Amino acid sequence: MNKYLVNITVGGVVDESAVDGRVARLRLLASAIAGRTLEVVAAAAGERTWTDGTTVFVEARARPAEQARMVAVQASLLGAGSLEPTIVRQLGRRPTLARRYLAVEGHRALAANDVLPPALRSLVDRRVAGGVGGAEESLTIARGRRAIDDPPASFGAIRPRRLLVSVERTEAAARGPDQAGGAPPDEAAGPLDEDDADGADGRRAGHLPSSPVGGRGALGRLLERMLGATREPGDGGPASAGALTHVGRARAGDRTTGTPTYVAAGTVDEATAFEPRGRTYPEWDVHRKRYRPDWCTVLERAPRPQDLAPMVMPDGQALRRPLARLGTGLDRTHRRLQGDDIDVDAAVEAHVELLAGSPPDEAVYVETLRRRPDLAVLILLDISGSAGEPGPARRSVHEHQRSAAAALATALHDLGDRVAVHAFNSHGRRAVHVRPVKGFDDRLDSRVVLRLGGLVPAAYTRLGAAIRHGAWVLADRGGTSRRLLLVLSDGLAYDHGYGGRYGEADARRALAEARRRRIGCLCLSVGAATAPAALQRVFGTAAHATVPTPEQLPDLIGPLFRAALRSAEAERHVFRREERTRERLQRQMRMTT
Amino acid sequence: MTRAARPYYVPVAIEEQIFKAAFRQGMSVLLKGPTGCGKTRLVEAMAHDLDRPLITVACHDDLTTADLVGRFLLHGGETRWVDGPLTRAVREGAICYLDEVVEARQDTTVVIHPLADHRRQLPVDRLGVVLDAAPGFCLVVSYNPGYQSVLKDLKDSTRQRMVAVELSFPPPDVEEKIVSHEAGVDHDTAALLVRLGQAIRRLEAAGLREVASTRVLIAAGRLVAEGLPPRAAARAAVAGPLSDDALVTAGLFEMIYAYLPVDG
Repeated sequence: MNKYLVNITVGGVVDESAVDGRVARLRLLASAIAGRTLEVVAAAAGERTWTDGTTVFVEARARPAEQARMVAVQASLLGAGSLEPTIVRQLGRRPTLARRYLAVEGHRALAANDVLPPALRSLVDRRVAGGVGGAEESLTIARGRRAIDDPPASFGAIRPRRLLVSVERTEAAARGPDQAGGAPPDEAAGPLDEDDADGADGRRAGHLPSSPVGGRGALGRLLERMLGATREPGDGGPASAGALTHVGRARAGDRTTGTPTYVAAGTVDEATAFEPRGRTYPEWDVHRKRYRPDWCTVLERAPRPQDLAPMVMPDGQALRRPLARLGTGLDRTHRRLQGDDIDVDAAVEAHVELLAGSPPDEAVYVETLRRRPDLAVLILLDISGSAGEPGPARRSVHEHQRSAAAALATALHDLGDRVAVHAFNSHGRRAVHVRPVKGFDDRLDSRVVLRLGGLVPAAYTRLGAAIRHGAWVLADRGGTSRRLLLVLSDGLAYDHGYGGRYGEADARRALAEARRRRIGCLCLSVGAATAPAALQRVFGTAAHATVPTPEQLPDLIGPLFRAALRSAEAERHVFRREERTRERLQRQMRMTT
Repeated sequence: MTRAARPYYVPVAIEEQIFKAAFRQGMSVLLKGPTGCGKTRLVEAMAHDLDRPLITVACHDDLTTADLVGRFLLHGGETRWVDGPLTRAVREGAICYLDEVVEARQDTTVVIHPLADHRRQLPVDRLGVVLDAAPGFCLVVSYNPGYQSVLKDLKDSTRQRMVAVELSFPPPDVEEKIVSHEAGVDHDTAALLVRLGQAIRRLEAAGLREVASTRVLIAAGRLVAEGLPPRAAARAAVAGPLSDDALVTAGLFEMIYAYLPVDG
């Protein structure tokens, strides 16, 4: 069994039993039957199989074949539209109705599924399924007085409240302010949460640390948003913005059924979860014009099992063309003086010339030449709270940036370049968190996708320390002579004691240091509303650009990469010149002594 | 001389009529579709129906213009011109099928431009002649739009010289017939395999580059016909070829267990 299959969350506790690995493998089956991407994890002990709309929680004790059947039923329910919010809202707090509904609708959903595994057809009660035309009809029947048998054990259960929290989250992401229809998510979730046994209050109260700035000033408000505090009703912003704030809260609780941890505020939890060893980096104090040595501690941490979530990967195809032009790859070159094959056309010409009495051209071989620049790219993804801001096209800045990171990583990986993706945020100078999503030697597989999908924006941005660490990672693990650091950030450098001019100057300095180490730097802002002048202050002379959505990247990425690599190249020449000068001086010194 | 049997092809829509109409009008055909959906088989069947020889060129990224058009070779102290497959098709009036044309370098595919449009001519620079295509010549290229290959897309100037025939995987009943016929398995086994294939095709973010094609389903069926249990056959012929990712492969195995019986 695979090493990485075992870490699956069971009711908030990491369970490393073989059950989980087995259960996670049902993911594809569930996704195929539902016709959309689903995750499968083991349910908490004693729970029956249920789904929240994105994840199927499967009864842990059941036999494997039975588990597959249960997953298929839940996936069919989702696929057949049985768990649409309009229906589920009516099931609300009525467990008997939910059970009766499942007993009818389960059969209908299974019967309606085109790709139901043949072995499951025996589950379908045709007498029940035949008489029902749709989910609404099932609900009417369930409401009626007719005697209905309890659903078979394989049907699991419907948990309306848990479904609604999740469904509204998905809806909120897809819904725009214009078609918001229905109750706003907060309102709808409020009364439902009341009797939710999972401690919605814990989520709602939030363990917000006191704001280091506080007040109702612009900065205070920004901080509050970063930490995901509840929006004031009159705070402006479209409905989707409010919904997204809600998303952050719902998400923290809905995976971990046991103890709700607040993602943004879990400083204590997170600090203990970190490995003790971290690397320290200096920071540039622009006011005193000198470095503060060993000022920041960067902690690298592997994602925890509950930090995994599926996402749809962009294919990066559009990015490939501009990126591929950076190098021509392995190429077979004709008319070479040496090579591993004869260039027939050249050979014939040479022979003809020989026969004609003129000296032949001896370059008659085809040679395979490596012309691709060896390139290692580290993508640094800003996952600070400010990235949770709504961006264009009804998605958050974070989603845009993550999508761009995924597309770039895929494209570069497919082109054969070495690529790594690290996400970063910070809780003050002693806790700059870097989360490796993909290492240089990792394959771009489903683990990477899950890690990327599970990133949730929270906390602050100590940009300088993250860049210095990124440069170190590139130098240490990049393994190529040409290296590029790609920073995906909204350019808001802010942390405890790291704001305004100080933060901007340090970030700029860190980029200059990286270039000095012959690492090309490229800063991209995707979907962020940061003013160009502010970006200029943070990113300085490094190549940088702002695009509204990842779809616009392909037009820009080629020139940007080239500019960034050229600047590193230039530094390399400067470096070589300096080296030569130093050597010459040393020689002269030796001669004089 | 008796003709060979018609290659087995079951039409899904009116692709055969489009192909034949384009052929009679001397137009070029662009076949689009995912791998293993029957592009090559359609061309073979059409060549048989239209009674034209078929010249197939599997394109690769080192394919030069000379490889298509022809080159001089040495023969007893003298040079002799040898036609390339394209030139041969032009002279003989054959159907020339460039399989996976996007794999060829773009400068190479430009040579087909004057052939593909109304001119129907092939300039052969080295001989200094322009060949008019013989009646019955038809240029067919195939192209997989979803194919994940570096830098590969068909130039617009090339695309617009062609009639596009879009193929996709056949509907379940047709596909069952095809799998059953091609693999030589009974209809029930074919139906099970097709249902598995349909389910795999519904996955969108599973980490699969390509979904299960009719070809892999036939391959699984052929293993079953050889006496292998269906699950083992599908593991070897469907799950294995589709992914190297351990997590995805494990997921595919689970799907196979759910969809296929222990033994036939």
